[in-house]
Amino acid sequence: MRQPAPWKLALLLFPGLGLILIFIGAVIYIAVAQSFGYYNLQGESGWTLEFWERTVGRRAYERSVSYSLYVGIVSAVLSVALAYPLALWLRKPFKGSLTVSAILKAPLLIHGIVAAFLFLNVISYHGILNQFLVSLGVFDGPRRLQNDDNAIGLLIMQVWKNMPIALLLLTGAVQAISDDVLRAARDLGAGVWARFRKIIAPLSVSAMQASLIIIFIGALADFTFQTTIGPTNRQSMAQYMDWFKERARWNEAAVVGVTLMVLSLLGSIGLAGAAQLIFRGRRK
Amino acid sequence: MAAISIIDLVMQFDGFTAVDHVSLDVGEGEFVTLLGPSGCGKTTLLNLISGFLQPTSGRIEIGGKDVVGVPPEARDTAICFQSYALFPHLSVQENLIFGLRQKGTPRTQRNARLEEIVGQVDLGAHLDKLPNQLSGGQQQRVALGRALAVRPFVILFDEPLSNLDAKLREQVRIEIRKIQRDFGLTAIYVTHDQAEALAMSDRIFIMNNGRLEQSGAPEEIYYAPRTRFVADFVGSANILDAEITEELSQGRWHVVTPIGPLEIQSKSAPRAKSLPICWRPETAIAGKEGPNALTGTITHRAFQGHFTDLIVDLGGTSQRLQVLRNAEGEGDKVDFSIMPHDLIFLEPDG
Ligand SMILES: Nc1ncnc2c1ncn2[C@@H]1O[C@H](COP(=O)(O)OP(=O)(O)OP(=O)(O)O)[C@@H](O)[C@H]1O
Ligand SMILES: [Mg+2]
Repeated sequence: MRQPAPWKLALLLFPGLGLILIFIGAVIYIAVAQSFGYYNLQGESGWTLEFWERTVGRRAYERSVSYSLYVGIVSAVLSVALAYPLALWLRKPFKGSLTVSAILKAPLLIHGIVAAFLFLNVISYHGILNQFLVSLGVFDGPRRLQNDDNAIGLLIMQVWKNMPIALLLLTGAVQAISDDVLRAARDLGAGVWARFRKIIAPLSVSAMQASLIIIFIGALADFTFQTTIGPTNRQSMAQYMDWFKERARWNEAAVVGVTLMVLSLLGSIGLAGAAQLIFRGRRK
Repeated sequence: MAAISIIDLVMQFDGFTAVDHVSLDVGEGEFVTLLGPSGCGKTTLLNLISGFLQPTSGRIEIGGKDVVGVPPEARDTAICFQSYALFPHLSVQENLIFGLRQKGTPRTQRNARLEEIVGQVDLGAHLDKLPNQLSGGQQQRVALGRALAVRPFVILFDEPLSNLDAKLREQVRIEIRKIQRDFGLTAIYVTHDQAEALAMSDRIFIMNNGRLEQSGAPEEIYYAPRTRFVADFVGSANILDAEITEELSQGRWHVVTPIGPLEIQSKSAPRAKSLPICWRPETAIAGKEGPNALTGTITHRAFQGHFTDLIVDLGGTSQRLQVLRNAEGEGDKVDFSIMPHDLIFLEPDG
């Protein structure tokens, strides 16, 4: 096929890609500009590092960054780790496998906030989980499980919500691996772990990276789960941004926003790179 | 001691019997073939030996040890797959040493083994390539080398040559046999190609519908087929329903067949009064000679190079002849004879 002229190509791409670039570009531009003192709604606009210096120096900023990174990374890794065995289990169709995989993907259809409220109900002080554990004798009396300090409830919900994304992506990748290849590995002495490590993971590493990135970015910027079921002694970056916004401190909110974007990018690169390095290794 | 003993093995897939009371022994260093039509249970039997399937009943011993219940990764067998099943993300070199890595073979030993295998399968120039950068024949050699590298006690082949062209197939056949001999490997080779089985095997096991029909050296299978199925499946055969009328003398019988009365000389006595008999097309002798002299009309003639195939009609029954030279054409009459010792009694059907 003849390559169309560059200007024609640009014109063709513009309605789709062009608009996307304009909107994304505008958002990024405003956020970055604002973090450096422009578009100041409170005082004078102009170049300054003041907002960065002021915000980055705060302990709350540091804590929200490390907490969000923790939630993002742990959610992504746990979701993928849980999705792999399920994807492998569902690799070959069996009686009822379609139903199982449909049920597993159901969380994709339920909004996070709805699920979070449901979860709250289940784990609340007089909720069924407490009653159940008390009746079993595991607990002496009901305990406060909600908004636990270690963010365990939050991570459970993150994984519940995100695992299906990983499952969706990994199922295809894992199904593309031929039976004979897996048998050959087994026949040559590779046990379950070696087959995963040497064959399955390397051959599905792209899907693994895509899952890690999508889930990481979502969990890093989480607001909904954090404000409903997250620990009350912690703040996620999105929450921190909102905190500034409530006080009309737009420039500082922008600093957190830009940090969030930069961390999304760097974290994604980091996770994808780690997956590549661990499972693909250097080809020799 | 047999390298592999299979004792009364049965494999059922929800009610369907794929392997039906099979018993066989394979000696150490022996090269045996499982030969049979598609769906007769060859791959299933191989999967039982390698451990990918658990038998419904029966025993499998490898090197004198009962291996039923031992997983494939712990069995000292290696398979050469029809699909090659190379690891697509690993270089040729990594494919070749995969098994050694799994076994934790020390690096120096691994390198020595690699060098040896690379020489054997002639892949020196391709070690850094990925499998998809190789030709079919080269991929096949990687698959072979990968299996050989672990020095398995038993090597299993599942139709490894079926994706190669005829010329290459013949060449690789010879290579496989040579390597197998050099290493003294015990090999089980699955094929549905009777020519391949005849050319390669120390012994052939003929399978049909999950059962073992006959086993023996290639010559034995070819010249002394026991059943109608074996006679028909291995080589080509003219099979006739015969009625025994008289024992002429010790080892000589008179029979009546659709192509006329014939005299048979056989070491083994017929098992019944009426049974199938067969003869090989290439044993026909041109002209009238001996007691079984026949005349037929050529209905079809096909020149095959080193011989000519004739389909001859004898009173409504077609017989196949292979003759070295033949001047007659379709529609002509032809005289030929079958020597009494070239006629073979088969087992009665059913
Ligand atoms: N997992 C299975 N479940 C049900 N039936 C099976 C299974 N595997 C094999 N069979 C059946 O067992 C029979 C033997 O199959 P097998 O693959 O051993 O044949 P084969 O001799 O290797 O044939 P081919 O020459 O075509 O490879 C077939 O009828 C097949 O349908
Ligand atoms: Mg098969």
